[in-house]
Order: sequence, then structure tokens, then C-alpha cells
Amino acid sequence: MKPISSGRFDGLIESLSRGAAQRTSRRGFLSQCGLWLVAASSLPLLPVARRAQAGEQPAAKPSRKFASEFANHAQTNDPTRCNYWRYCASDGYLCACCGGGPHTCPPGTSPSPTSWIGSCINPDDGKTYLIAYRDCCGQDSCGRCACLGQEGDMPSYRPQVNNDIVWCFGASSMVYHCSSAGLVGLAE
Amino acid sequence: MRQLAAALALALAGSIVNASGPPASSGSNVPDVETRSSGLQLVPMPRTAQLYATNCQGCHGEFGSSAAEIPTLAGRVGYFTRIPEGRRYLVQVPNVALNTNSDADIAAVLNWLLATYSRAQLPADFKPYTASEVGELRRARIDVAVSRRRVIDALVAAGQIPSADVLALPHVVLY
Repeated sequence: MKPISSGRFDGLIESLSRGAAQRTSRRGFLSQCGLWLVAASSLPLLPVARRAQAGEQPAAKPSRKFASEFANHAQTNDPTRCNYWRYCASDGYLCACCGGGPHTCPPGTSPSPTSWIGSCINPDDGKTYLIAYRDCCGQDSCGRCACLGQEGDMPSYRPQVNNDIVWCFGASSMVYHCSSAGLVGLAE
Repeated sequence: MRQLAAALALALAGSIVNASGPPASSGSNVPDVETRSSGLQLVPMPRTAQLYATNCQGCHGEFGSSAAEIPTLAGRVGYFTRIPEGRRYLVQVPNVALNTNSDADIAAVLNWLLATYSRAQLPADFKPYTASEVGELRRARIDVAVSRRRVIDALVAAGQIPSADVLALPHVVLY
């Protein structure tokens, strides 16, 4: 067919688009699309060896080697996350997220002289350590990184082992800010 | 430095203490973001110290004294064992009587804290608490303030303490 365009560039484009129109059909295009769609979605269903992916699974799915479910998911490196191993019985806002550290109070608050002492398993050595949960008091609630661990915690009908109460007894202020978790010792 | 000092102070409760230098013979480093690099070594706490830590220390303190609201054990608690009603009182205060541990463990921790924090105040013929004695005594439910006053008056009357001030609780204005 004789091109109707006069310019050289226009002629080139016209011949390309006419060629495409002559060689392809809309049905053919749709059937090709469908083929690719089916092929792409069914490829992962083929019985392919998946060793590479299998290698990652233990990390994503923690082992259940400890009786404590908290310890099975715990880590020892990041005190700003609720699964840090010492927080197994922490109830409150983490001081590490509030300008303090895992066992230090943020500026402007003071540590309560009294604490709630529990025990947590360190997932890296499997040993049990005593942990003192000490509230930092004297400023309004921090509000960051709320973390509720319940290892050894009992409802308030067992007040000796209930961690829900504000533990600022003896501090200069009963206003609760955040909770820290200090290492007390290694259990037997 | 402050963190290290705090870690050491906390660690003292148990047993330890080797923040630098060669590892303790049976100690092990705590695998934790703060203690891996400091090299803190811990050896297991004795069982009775551990019972004290998990049941009493939170309020009464690592060295037997704490906030003004909390009765001081150090240098005082032994006086109570000088008369039978005082000996009973120590088992019948609510947090001992209602403790979730066994009679044997309660007896062990009482004997341990008396010897650790108040040995000088114990009578010469002090007999350690036994599990059966604790089991019997802890059934009673007392009014702590009334019982305490009676015991202290009896101690003064028996000449075991010069005056009630020896065991007085500081007046604390609570909030």
C-alpha cells in the first residue's frame, strides 16, 4: 500500500504502524496476554526445588526450645523493641524509647527505690536471669513503646506477683513515666 | 561510666563481679547488647539469695533497707526473734504468710535474711525457723499495725530493746 504521509519520519511511523496492524490481531493480542498470564501464575506451582527459600524459614519461624514463649521470640540486641529478652515481665512504656536506656531513666525522671523483680530467659545462652523492673517517675507518661510482658505475672488477686500497679513507691513523685529493666543476677 | 557503675551495682545483688580482667572461674558473660562488650561475668546466685531477690528485695532492697515507707530489715529485723510473739510476727506479716512459695522455702529465706541483714540482733540461742513451724504460723491472719505495736511493747517490757524507737517506722507523709 502506498504511504499517504509525505515526510520521511511520518512515512516511517506510518509503515511501522501499518505493518503492526497487518501482522497482529486484537484476538491474537488477547490470547497472547492470556497465555502469559496463565504461564506466569502457574510457574510457581511447578514442582521446583525450593532449597533457597527453605534456608530462610528457621529465622522467620522461631524454634520452640524454651518453655517460655516470650524467650522463643526474644532477641538480645535492641532494647527499644518489646521482644528484647529482659522485657518478659515489663508492663509499661519502655524507657529505652523515652530518652533513657534499658536500665536508666530518661532525664527529668528518677528511678523508684522499689522495683518488681521477675526472671527472664536469655535466648542466647538459655540461662535464667533475675530482672528488676524499676519505674522511672516524676514526669507524665512517656507514651512510647508500650510493652506488656507477662512472664510470672499473676492477676491482682495475687498482688505479690502482679505487675500492673504503678511501682513508684518511695520515689519523690507517684507520677509514672516509663519502665526500665535492670539485670539483678544469674539464677541458679 | 554511669552505666557501668549501675550495672555493677545491680550485679552486686547476686554474686559477681568481674567487669574487666580475666573471667571468673565458673562465671559466664551475659549475652546482651550492654554486657557483651563490658565483659560482665555472672555466677549463679545461691538459692536463698534468689528467693530473697524475687520475693522481698524489690521493696526491702538489696541491702535490707529501701524507701522510708518500707520497714528496714538491716540491723533491726533480728530483734523480733528475741520473744515468741515477735518470732510469730515475722511469719505472719501478710507478704510472708501469703507468699506463694513452700513453707520450706519461706523458712529458708527468713533464716537467710535474718543471718544476712541482722545477725547482731539475733538472740544467742536463736533457733532457725523450720518448715513445719512456718506452715503452722502462717495460717494466722493478723492486723499488722496492731500486732507490730504489741510485739514492740513486749520487747521493751522484756528488756530486749531499750525503747520502742529502736523499731519505730518513720512518719511518712504519703502524697
